[in-house]
Amino acid sequence: MAGKLALVLLLMALIAAPEILSPYHRSLALAILADVALAVSWAFFSGPSRYLSLATGAFFGAGAYLTAIVGARVPWPLPVLGGALMGCAMALVVGALALRLRGPYFAVFTFGLAELAKHTLIWYETGVTGTVGRLLLAPPGPWTLYYTVLCLAGLAVVTALLLRRSRWGYALVGIGADEERAETLGIDTTRVKVGTFALSAAFMGAVGAAMAPRWTYLDPQVFNPFVSFQTVIMALLGGATTVAGPIVGAVFLGLASEILLLKFRYFYMLGLGLTLIVVVLALPSGLAGLASRLRPSPSPLPRPQP
Amino acid sequence: MGLSPTLVVDIVVGGLITGGIYALVALGLNLQYGLMRVLNVAHGEFLMMGAYLTYSLHTAWGVNPLLTLLITGPASFGAGLVLHRLLYARVLAGGEAAEALESRSLLLSFGLLFVLQNAALLLWSADLKGYSYLAVPLRFLGSVFPANRLVAAAVALAVSLAFYVFLQRSFLGKAIRALMQDPEGAQLAGIDLSRVHGLCFGIGIAMSAVTGSLISMLFELTPFIGLPYTVTALVVVILGGLGNVVGSLLGGLILGLVETASVYLAASDIRLIASYAVLSLILILKPSGLFGR
Repeated sequence: MAGKLALVLLLMALIAAPEILSPYHRSLALAILADVALAVSWAFFSGPSRYLSLATGAFFGAGAYLTAIVGARVPWPLPVLGGALMGCAMALVVGALALRLRGPYFAVFTFGLAELAKHTLIWYETGVTGTVGRLLLAPPGPWTLYYTVLCLAGLAVVTALLLRRSRWGYALVGIGADEERAETLGIDTTRVKVGTFALSAAFMGAVGAAMAPRWTYLDPQVFNPFVSFQTVIMALLGGATTVAGPIVGAVFLGLASEILLLKFRYFYMLGLGLTLIVVVLALPSGLAGLASRLRPSPSPLPRPQP
Repeated sequence: MGLSPTLVVDIVVGGLITGGIYALVALGLNLQYGLMRVLNVAHGEFLMMGAYLTYSLHTAWGVNPLLTLLITGPASFGAGLVLHRLLYARVLAGGEAAEALESRSLLLSFGLLFVLQNAALLLWSADLKGYSYLAVPLRFLGSVFPANRLVAAAVALAVSLAFYVFLQRSFLGKAIRALMQDPEGAQLAGIDLSRVHGLCFGIGIAMSAVTGSLISMLFELTPFIGLPYTVTALVVVILGGLGNVVGSLLGGLILGLVETASVYLAASDIRLIASYAVLSLILILKPSGLFGR
């Protein structure tokens, strides 16, 4: 009961936030909400399925560049919808091809995707359209952006919660545990994998489209592999197999980067690398896992003795 | 465009020069992945570190760049041993499923990539750094090549071949090959898995750093030069097959030729797109590599 009350209060605070906060803090809240949406949507696919996707930057970039191209020619929520469709379509193609790859091959393939998209776009823009970037004129106001991203983050969390309890969610866990066995048990693994991958990519594309108006000028460098890594680190730091984990990780790293990134850029990035190493070595289930380990579990299941 | 004899020499020799360098980087990566399943995406960062080390030794104390190989090689070998002991040996000792291990060691490598790149940014800043060494033109079959490129490629190929001979002839080399072919059988025969892993990780990283020392004679340096070489090495390793040493050598030379030809015949900015496209195609069509089993 107390938990539900806290949730309602948090939601009210988030909705009222733009009224109370200064423009600086509103913009910080916006960035953190976007990170939450990215990390949660990354984790609801990669967490249970154990397919380590580094394509976040590619989907995010595609959404952002779409907003930059259509500009103010279409009314506001449409670019976000377009970004979602764009991410979804890219993920369907990439997923159908790449989700046959296991382990690090999938990670490398998806990592290459952002670079491939960036270099193809640079080549296309300089060679065909003769531009190197796009100006974003007449962007929607900061309030509109805040509520758009808040909606996306909320939707991502709700999707993650619903997915966990659905047949698809269990199927994904089964795929992560042993894909061949899952297939033998009658799970259409390709459909589940590609479907969920596309769903998570839709969120990433939408977040990219919604965040684009924050920059007044966009060039193909928006396909940034750093976005992919940051998302992975946030989700893993918090714990990728829970819903709360990625949120905790995103808020924690979002605040840390805000405080440290501008003043000590290289030290921050160096620290991020060290964080990743420590998390992988010492916290396999993230901060959320650490919390549940510290909390005494109510009734430990008896282990079957061999 | 006509293919004049000079152009052919330009492409072939230029391609072999680039390819010899690629082969050495890829050999180092293959040694790590083929044996331990550690996909070290920080491989190119050691190349970058080796390059900066040579740059600093040469510009600060006037050490001959070729002599610095005797420093960058052993230093990076030692660093590799330590990193293996501190990071990878722990993950590999975890006893999880193979795929979970591979993903975790991949994440470790990404962490290492961040650490090394930003350490280099702190130490050497993002400005271009470079020096001139042996930048004299040499005539060769009617074409002109800078001497430093020929020297760098010759050293790279010599190191690769020396390693091949070491693998074929020496006791440790035979142990490495045995582990690549059949890890369990080799361990039953009394080969210490963890020790050989550590040594191979060190040798692999030393190859990358030595290549970096050679590259510092040819190009200007930034802390960001590493990753493109990692991608190239990945393409070569996947082209040549995992754990296949000869495949890496041939794959490196082939990729060098293809890239040089595409730069001469098409445009230079298509190079990276071509690399990624080749990588994606091979991964999709034949995940075990072109020359793989």
